[in-house]
Amino acid sequence: MTTPDTATSASKARTWRYRVVPYLLIAPAIVYLAMFFAYPMYEGLVLAVYDEDALLPTRDEPNLDGSEVSKIPQGTALAIVDRSSQEVVGDENPDALTDPWYQVTADDPTGSPITGWVSEARIRVRDEDAAGAPVSGTVRPRLAATSDPLTDVYEAPNDRSEVIGKLEQRAPVEITDVALLEVWFQVRPADDPSAAAGWAPSRFLQVFEDGENGRVHRGTDGEFTTAFIRRMIDDRFFGPAVRTTLLLMVLIIPAQLVLAMVMALVIHARTRLSTGFLYAFSLPIGMSDLAAGILFFSIFTGNGLLNSILDALGIIDGPYAFLTADTVRWIIFAIVLAELWRATSIVMVILVAGLQAIPDETLEAAELFGASYFQRVRHIMLPLLRPSIQVALILRTILAFQVFAVVIALGGGDVVTVLANESYRQYFGLRNNNVASAYAVFILLLSMASAFFYLRAVRSEPEARPT
Amino acid sequence: MAEIRIEHVTKTFGDNVAIDDINLTIEDREFLVLLGPSGCGKTTLLRAIAGLGMADSGRISIGGQDVTYLPPGQRQISMVFQSYAIFPHMTVHQNIGFGLLMNKVDKAESDRRVRSAAELLHIENLLDRRPSAMSGGQRQRVAVARALAMEAKVLLMDEPLSNLDALLRLEMRAELKRLLADVEATTVYVTHDQIEALSMGDRVAVMLDGKIQQCDAPNTVYESPSNQFVGSFIGNPPMNFMEGTIQRDRDTVTVAVGEHEFSPPEALQPLIRDLSSDRITLGIRAENMETLAAPSSDTVPVTIEVVEPLGAQNLLTARIGGHRLKVSTHPSLDVAAKQQVYIRLPADQIRWIDPATESVLYKR
Repeated sequence: MTTPDTATSASKARTWRYRVVPYLLIAPAIVYLAMFFAYPMYEGLVLAVYDEDALLPTRDEPNLDGSEVSKIPQGTALAIVDRSSQEVVGDENPDALTDPWYQVTADDPTGSPITGWVSEARIRVRDEDAAGAPVSGTVRPRLAATSDPLTDVYEAPNDRSEVIGKLEQRAPVEITDVALLEVWFQVRPADDPSAAAGWAPSRFLQVFEDGENGRVHRGTDGEFTTAFIRRMIDDRFFGPAVRTTLLLMVLIIPAQLVLAMVMALVIHARTRLSTGFLYAFSLPIGMSDLAAGILFFSIFTGNGLLNSILDALGIIDGPYAFLTADTVRWIIFAIVLAELWRATSIVMVILVAGLQAIPDETLEAAELFGASYFQRVRHIMLPLLRPSIQVALILRTILAFQVFAVVIALGGGDVVTVLANESYRQYFGLRNNNVASAYAVFILLLSMASAFFYLRAVRSEPEARPT
Repeated sequence: MAEIRIEHVTKTFGDNVAIDDINLTIEDREFLVLLGPSGCGKTTLLRAIAGLGMADSGRISIGGQDVTYLPPGQRQISMVFQSYAIFPHMTVHQNIGFGLLMNKVDKAESDRRVRSAAELLHIENLLDRRPSAMSGGQRQRVAVARALAMEAKVLLMDEPLSNLDALLRLEMRAELKRLLADVEATTVYVTHDQIEALSMGDRVAVMLDGKIQQCDAPNTVYESPSNQFVGSFIGNPPMNFMEGTIQRDRDTVTVAVGEHEFSPPEALQPLIRDLSSDRITLGIRAENMETLAAPSSDTVPVTIEVVEPLGAQNLLTARIGGHRLKVSTHPSLDVAAKQQVYIRLPADQIRWIDPATESVLYKR
């Protein structure tokens, strides 16, 4: 009985290993995807729809242990009801906006010794111990003639506690203790006097000069919101950006596909010049898109190549300004040309690879059975290239949603704008990370939708693939 | 009429001469097999006939029409490719009908021809399937059906059975032969498999180094090879060869192999006497020797080295004058290794080869 049992358990162990090993092998890929793909995407998405500072919770006591009274949205006008200073113990709240108080021992104006608390603002520290803690100092003089020249000493580190004495200016003091104080305000929304008042730390509030009114500067609790997306859609550049991006796609991609197919067929014809054509056609792959934009800018600009040629041919009398706000069509034309020149070769490379995967005998068979060159292209090459065309279309459409540098180089970014440019404008120009993220997410969604569309529409049946 | 005439056709790839000044006439409705080891130029010759690789020089005509410079689509030919070259994105029906569609054959007629070709190859139930869901044998049938549907006068086949497994190949071989007998097309069939060549062809053209070594009926090629290469390439086991020395007497010529003497037939004696050197090569097929247990007047005593029972025959390896001979015997003959037997080599079954030219001597 033991032998079959051992065998079974051994084979079980082996099966288990076969099941786990593939997952171990793809673990690095999963880590990579999570770190460099899923996480940034998640963060971007969160930025676009989640407002981290939306709500400020108020408490029934002026400290963090108090239970919550209400949440007041960011920017709400407040009426200030009361004010309190709270000692912050240790490092429990490193973000707190604190004000240090010193416990001092000194002689009062009458000469009798006194021990009490004085705000840091009233003490100049003269000596510190090795750890940097203040040891001794002097009372600061008051400069304003109207105020009391003496400094109040409080019983506790709080300006609401009892004044137990006063100190003369420049009186030497010994510092025996330090307390960190944070001011809390009891507030309620200004437009709703009946609402319950709650306490909130000063760092989240903006208190006006009168000391009785203020507003919520920022909250601590986040909230999902469509505000950023609405702001993106309401932006005056949003419509033009979407329209221009789509227009460029419609103008560029079909032309690009046809051009790339012709180039691929030229290379696939295997004439003596094919290799030369391949190098010539794929040269622009090595160029950055900004460089391509600048290159075409130099062609279309006032003293550029195009004007020089037209002038030399006597077609125009003086330089024609192609790239101005009044000649948006010319800008679009230049962008289309630059993109065609720059990005057609990557489509061509994909199609050449696809063509080379078609066996020679398949094409010879078509030729032998009477198909002319164009019939071979139509009946054999194009159908067998479907997977390659699909890849090329997906790649090009996604890249078309991201078109940016060429547009900036040729149009400056204001007269002609695209989605990627708007994301850039929001992030760097207007410092609005959330709306910039909303644009980024919008581009991402469009890309995914188009990829999905192509996968469906240009679907190649699995059994129709070359074997 | 679709007689194929190949005149002085040469084709080179760089420095490599693939086919070298070939002259060949293939009769109307003949089944010609191009046979040879790989690299002998047989496929190149077929492709030259098809127009898939233009000949460097020479002329090719089909049915009296000079097609040397015609593209393959206009040569009125059809072809079965080695890799089948089925179009993977088309159904079987579309595949078989592709040539008809390209040649603008009327739709009803095209459908009729597709169906009859499919029926001939027993794939009429696969017409709506796609090739990727099919086995190698089925794809092969589609490729043949596609070629037959063209109803061309010339049918070219480039090793059509080489991608099939052995059993399927045997089955398809007989079926192809049956089909092509009905198809009344001039057929050129390329293969490196000598059994395929012998069993299927009306004539077999054996090629080596871009030249046709011999082009004759299968039996002639087997029985009377024109040279040593043909004898060694055709037949399994290949023909046995022995080096001999010519002994010219006053009346007769004998050939000594080791201590044994052979006398050539009367008719060949003058030819052998006229050879410039004393060296001669003797060739004999394994099944043409007789193995006897007891000595007789014209037998050679040999010691058996190996006995290989092959079912239908036993293959003995024996040694004569330093040469190993393969001798085929009836399985009923009870022999074992190291045993002494006596083999008879009938003089009329021995092929006498001039070692200088490697060609076999025949009386004229």
